Amino acid sequence: MTLEWDHGMTTELQSLDHEIIGRYTDQPARLPAALRRRIEASWNGAPVQLYALADLDEALRLTEAWVALGPGHVTVARATDGRHEWDLMHIERARIEAVREAPGLSASTLTILGRPGDPALAVLRYSHRQRRAFENLTFVLEEALAGRTVTTVDADAEYAASVARPIRDAQALVAGRRGAVIRRLLGYLRPYRRQLVLGMAAATLITLVSLVPPYLAGYVIDRVVRPAQEGRLDVGRASAIAWLAVGAMALVYLVRQAAAVVRLRLMAVLGEWVARDLRAELYEHLQRLSLAFYSRKHTGSLITRVSADTDRLWEFLAFGVVDVSLSLVMLAGLGAVLLSLDWRLGLVMTLPVPLFCWAIYRHGESLNRVFLRVWRKWSRLTDVLSDTLPGVRVVKAFNQEAREIARFDGHNDDVTAEINRLHGIWTTFWPLLMLAVHATTLGVWVLAVPRLLGLGPALSAGAFVSFLLYTTMFVAPIEVIGQMARTVQRATTSAHRVFEVLDTEPEVTDAPRAVRLEPVRGRVTFEQVTFAYDGVRQVLRGVSFDVAPGELIGLVGPSGGGKTTIVNLIARFYDVTGGTIRIDGVDIRQLETGHYRRQLGMVLQDPYLFHGTVLENIRYGLPAASLEQVVAASQAANAHDFICKLQHGYDTVVGERGHTLSGGERQRVSIARAILHDPRILILDEATSSVDTETEREIQEALERLIAGRTVFAIAHRLSTLRKASRLFVIADGRLVESGTHRELVAKPEGRYRRLYEMQVELA
Amino acid sequence: METTAIRRPDSEEDTTPAGELRLTRRADGRLWAARGDAERAVWVRRCFPWSEPARFVSLRDDDQQEFALVRDPTDLDAASRRVLEEALVAAGFVFQITRVTAIEEEVDIRHWRVETRQGTRSFQTRLDTWPRVLQHGGLLVRDVAGDLYHLPDPTTLDRQSRALVWAFVD
Repeated sequence: MTLEWDHGMTTELQSLDHEIIGRYTDQPARLPAALRRRIEASWNGAPVQLYALADLDEALRLTEAWVALGPGHVTVARATDGRHEWDLMHIERARIEAVREAPGLSASTLTILGRPGDPALAVLRYSHRQRRAFENLTFVLEEALAGRTVTTVDADAEYAASVARPIRDAQALVAGRRGAVIRRLLGYLRPYRRQLVLGMAAATLITLVSLVPPYLAGYVIDRVVRPAQEGRLDVGRASAIAWLAVGAMALVYLVRQAAAVVRLRLMAVLGEWVARDLRAELYEHLQRLSLAFYSRKHTGSLITRVSADTDRLWEFLAFGVVDVSLSLVMLAGLGAVLLSLDWRLGLVMTLPVPLFCWAIYRHGESLNRVFLRVWRKWSRLTDVLSDTLPGVRVVKAFNQEAREIARFDGHNDDVTAEINRLHGIWTTFWPLLMLAVHATTLGVWVLAVPRLLGLGPALSAGAFVSFLLYTTMFVAPIEVIGQMARTVQRATTSAHRVFEVLDTEPEVTDAPRAVRLEPVRGRVTFEQVTFAYDGVRQVLRGVSFDVAPGELIGLVGPSGGGKTTIVNLIARFYDVTGGTIRIDGVDIRQLETGHYRRQLGMVLQDPYLFHGTVLENIRYGLPAASLEQVVAASQAANAHDFICKLQHGYDTVVGERGHTLSGGERQRVSIARAILHDPRILILDEATSSVDTETEREIQEALERLIAGRTVFAIAHRLSTLRKASRLFVIADGRLVESGTHRELVAKPEGRYRRLYEMQVELA
Repeated sequence: METTAIRRPDSEEDTTPAGELRLTRRADGRLWAARGDAERAVWVRRCFPWSEPARFVSLRDDDQQEFALVRDPTDLDAASRRVLEEALVAAGFVFQITRVTAIEEEVDIRHWRVETRQGTRSFQTRLDTWPRVLQHGGLLVRDVAGDLYHLPDPTTLDRQSRALVWAFVD
């Protein structure tokens, strides 16, 4: 039997895997081309089908040895003298009788064995990074020993995926293109160009008019006050000019604050709009993504992306972008004004500015290191909370309250010490920085005083006062510029995290001309279906069956055998990697997924109820259902009675995940939901395994009403619950090993079902 | 009042008497354990790799079943003990960090570049996965692929390495 395997991996993903290996690991992204040619030549042109890197030698030092698998051979290539000279050892596959892996803490050993008692054909050692690639090799060799052939598609892609996958799962992009990320983020401002231009104009106006009051102060002193005091200007005229200047200053302040209102409001609102757009796009995309994505990512991390990361981007877009650009404008403007007022004093003030910015940047860096310690110690503290609060019954039962309090206090003290270290650093830095700024100002005084007294180049009192006022305006933009790197870094990190999700393509997509089955009759056909969640290790290996509409199929067999995978494929949560699944004769991949899933119902072992009322939960799949339909479905599900006993009846709000109801009650609500949904194909996955016998009887009764007239796939470990099945499929090791009615299977003397059944009868 | 005494299982009954156990490395390169008439190719797993690495070694067969538990290798005969110790070197292998050249944070991962006794190595940890501080004071880092990196005594590292790992040690 030949099992086809096709991972359907896109070229884009392959190139990402190669990029990840190149950037993040110290190993080659593929088998060296020259070595591959040499190996294939030694196999008379047969292709390398799979390969792996054995990165540890016999003495457990890092090395480079390649293991290549071909149709007739396994070849081990070891680098000699550390250069790319290869010593090849060929093993005929016909001589291989077993392969054994001995796993260790951080290194595994694969032994390829020939005849019993003969020396091992090869012993290979490798770190966990190579383990997936070796598992693929082992799988193919073991399948061959069992008489089955696994055909692989692209050895390079397989190797790259196996090495890069753990890194890709942790971070599905290669970071580093900060400019591109910022540009893409700023692209979200495009729909709000008008508001952005207005906001930026208001901000520029604020910056420019801020430069006016110090100038006016100098002007009034030099051109009005002093001439009037010295009798060179008439007091009446001086008063008029002075009041005019005061009026101008009032106008400046008014304009500035009006512009500030415009700027703050426009940019804050604009930032919110962009954050809203990002959140909406992100959530919509999350809903489209396949289950495989959710199995790779923690829910908490996804929630953070939708909430905290978009919030951080709001902050950056609303204020960060404007603050940074205007601070640059302000510093340039101030520098120009100071140098034009008096170039000597201007140089004293402007030359240290880069030094101040650098000092603030360094300060931020050193704070980051302390923040890391604080974060680590905080996580220890929260670990104690998340351990002991949910487990408080165990703590009390073992009388460990005092110990847990001491543990918490210890971590609490650690956190406080680190935070105080943090306070110690910034409370020292900022006064020191201000001292340096004051020292600069003092330098200005030192240079200016002799000149004010007539020694050296002339300096008017007004110009000096303007100068001093301008110097006070330096601190704020220096602070913003100094923290610019951190602001941009935080924003790009959040943007990366958001874009990582947006750039993930759903693995299950509708075909270009997807069809609708109207109506779905419920025939389900598997034709040589193979499936691998990851790599070439198949969890389903050539499964074929044909189920007629209305049949109740019981899926039984050991855990990990492939039962849940079968129902996941019927629900099209994943696409097959080989073979075909047909619904009413049509390839499932040609169906419009949304329409198809509306014909599908699931009742799971741990039913999920959403936060909301019992009524909303029952109506989840059919929001327009009438109350009569809801009550009828609940009655059929044996749920109506207990729901009416609740204080608020169907309007009872069930908590997060429906925790206010017992397991059996939640199960019956989920059955009512499925009955109302009226699916043509129904999947029951251990629907009664976590309830007591009496509740199980009630649920069983409800299920019998639910399954009538539908095609049903029911997974159950308790075989007694499948008495009424039309046929039973025994699934083991990814294969359909037996099928038939209960009576037929029990009659098989050496049958697996019979063995399972007898074991359960004995236990009962 | 009637009471029922609950006896702890006798330690000699629930584990293999080490004296009867023989370990050999055979021509096929594998470790074989023999006890009475039974013999099995086994691989070894330390039960307490960090708190008591020298004792309690589980010998497991290809079906992952425990064939024998060696409480103390000194109970074995000299030849068996030597073979077991050799097997433990591979089973207990972790990378030994001697120098840290860089630790950089990216979006979701922390990227480490280190020198180890086995050679130069780059690896990644998740940002919210912290190195484990071992009882004896060493540091154990687990990367995203599951490889382990042991830093026995951070105080003996060079100045730059100490500065880089400072945030991760107590």
